[in-house]
Amino acid sequence: MTAAPIVESTQLSKWYGQVSGLNDVSVKVPGGVTGLLGPNGAGKSTFMKLMTGQLKPSKGTIRVLGEPIWGNPDIFFRIGFCPEQDAFYDRMTGLEWLTALVRLNGLSEKEADAAARRALEVVDLTEAAGKRIGGYSKGMRQRVKLAQAIIHDPELLVLDEPLGGMDPIGRRKTIRLIREWGREGKSLIVSSHILHEIESMTSNILLIHNGRILAEGNVHQIRDLIDEHPHTVHVRAASPRALARLFLAYDDVLSLKLEEDAVMVQTARPDEFYTRLTALVASGEAGEIHEVTSPDDNLQAVFHYLVK
Amino acid sequence: MADSASNGRTVRRGPSFLTASARVFDLSIGQMLWSRRTIFLALVVGAPVALAILFRVLDIMGFAGMRVGSRTIQGPTIFGIFIWMLYLRFIVPVLGVFYGTSLIADEVEDRTVTYLFTRPIRRGAVLVGKYLAYLVATALVVLPSVMLVYFAVVPIGGGGLAGTFPALLTDLAMLGLGLAAYGSLFAWIGAQLKRPLVIGLIFAFGWEQIVMLIPGYLRRFTIAYYLQGLVPHAMPQDSTVSFLQSVLRDVPPAWTCLVWLAVIWAGFLLLAARVVERKEYVLEQ
Repeated sequence: MTAAPIVESTQLSKWYGQVSGLNDVSVKVPGGVTGLLGPNGAGKSTFMKLMTGQLKPSKGTIRVLGEPIWGNPDIFFRIGFCPEQDAFYDRMTGLEWLTALVRLNGLSEKEADAAARRALEVVDLTEAAGKRIGGYSKGMRQRVKLAQAIIHDPELLVLDEPLGGMDPIGRRKTIRLIREWGREGKSLIVSSHILHEIESMTSNILLIHNGRILAEGNVHQIRDLIDEHPHTVHVRAASPRALARLFLAYDDVLSLKLEEDAVMVQTARPDEFYTRLTALVASGEAGEIHEVTSPDDNLQAVFHYLVK
Repeated sequence: MADSASNGRTVRRGPSFLTASARVFDLSIGQMLWSRRTIFLALVVGAPVALAILFRVLDIMGFAGMRVGSRTIQGPTIFGIFIWMLYLRFIVPVLGVFYGTSLIADEVEDRTVTYLFTRPIRRGAVLVGKYLAYLVATALVVLPSVMLVYFAVVPIGGGGLAGTFPALLTDLAMLGLGLAAYGSLFAWIGAQLKRPLVIGLIFAFGWEQIVMLIPGYLRRFTIAYYLQGLVPHAMPQDSTVSFLQSVLRDVPPAWTCLVWLAVIWAGFLLLAARVVERKEYVLEQ
């Protein structure tokens, strides 16, 4: 017997006026960790907003955990959503914000406080619990957003670009958390435009492009394709020059571009590059690294190849 | 809260509508009180206080008081004019427009609405909770301002505080009703329409102002008409004010005003909650 899909859409479409956000998507997402991979503007966020009841389908249907999602608030006991947008009540502290949000799940003040502290501990923000969110770094903001998604211990986590803006250590920890949650039996749908990120969490992916699901299944099949295209990484750091000097010693680094507070690197082997970058940060050799992002040019190239 | 479903799985139910509203209120009140809008609100309600203090200083310095014909206007009457002309016809609608129309719009614009709409509560409870926060935030600023004006203005010309205190309580209740009714109407406009602020301003300072000066039934389609019926103060008499008085005199009995204000309040609040329940909010990327 096959397990019931956690998300099932049938001829699902979403239009924003004349613009198509998602086009005739029929898919069954199985339990476990699934990566939703596609370049910016592919329809990842639209699909995630539809599966979390933020948007109403223009056509077709979507069921989550066997239930309709639009106008069904009780299902949010079972779902946690980490949206992409960097938006908060900046004046509140992390603890206040989480406590207030989880109280909407019906928890008492005391229970909510305990749940908020637990969630902050999971995402390594215990020390920043009493600090205003407005004073958090980008990575901390990502993590507190993740905390609000897991605080009520949901069965399904929908994470929209959860690693965006995190430093390498934050990325590594978050990837580890996602894998742990998967092992604990939770289902996760994680979006990204970076194959390397998705690959480090799961081998099960959905490829999305121009509002359509291009392929679903094992990540390794497109892995080789990706490797043919250089991967671009943008590293914002306190000492970009020192960092660039270290990068030059790597044979997989194809090019380097120095900016005022950052280095843009093209690498042929992203796995090795990210592993070394994380080690560099941990050793402190490269000074402080604020943010690591990857433009999706490389993935765009792969998708163009796939749809040809 | 949990129920057992027929398939054996435990179905959890979210907090009741009222509990959820109260919790959204808890979450929103601080944000509302410390928002940029509150600075604007403080300036708006500070103006009558400054004016009242000026009147009182002039009175203490022995300048001749306000007169209508040969009669000096007493402090309680000046206070009544403050309440009607400044608070009820200007400040309360302004607050209603600026806060009411933004209850959901602010969350959508700031893209924080996602956090509220992905919790196991009805979306209508989000609106009601934020509406309650609006009521408390505005009342906390407006009512002290009225008290300050009262203490500054009523003693002018020898008016006594003790005798006018019941009228002050009526005024405070009336302002509360005004905030509730305007807030509810503008909450619906904010939830339903795309450019709620413009529509709200047109209603409050176009439609209401014009229609209130035209004799006939149209004024019944305003909130000011029903609030006017509750004003406890006698207005001064002279040729100009007598004209206004004649316009103002066409008011229904107080109980009718109360019933209609309650209908407006509950009706528009329900409509607003219904709109939020059904409407899809697309966030800007």
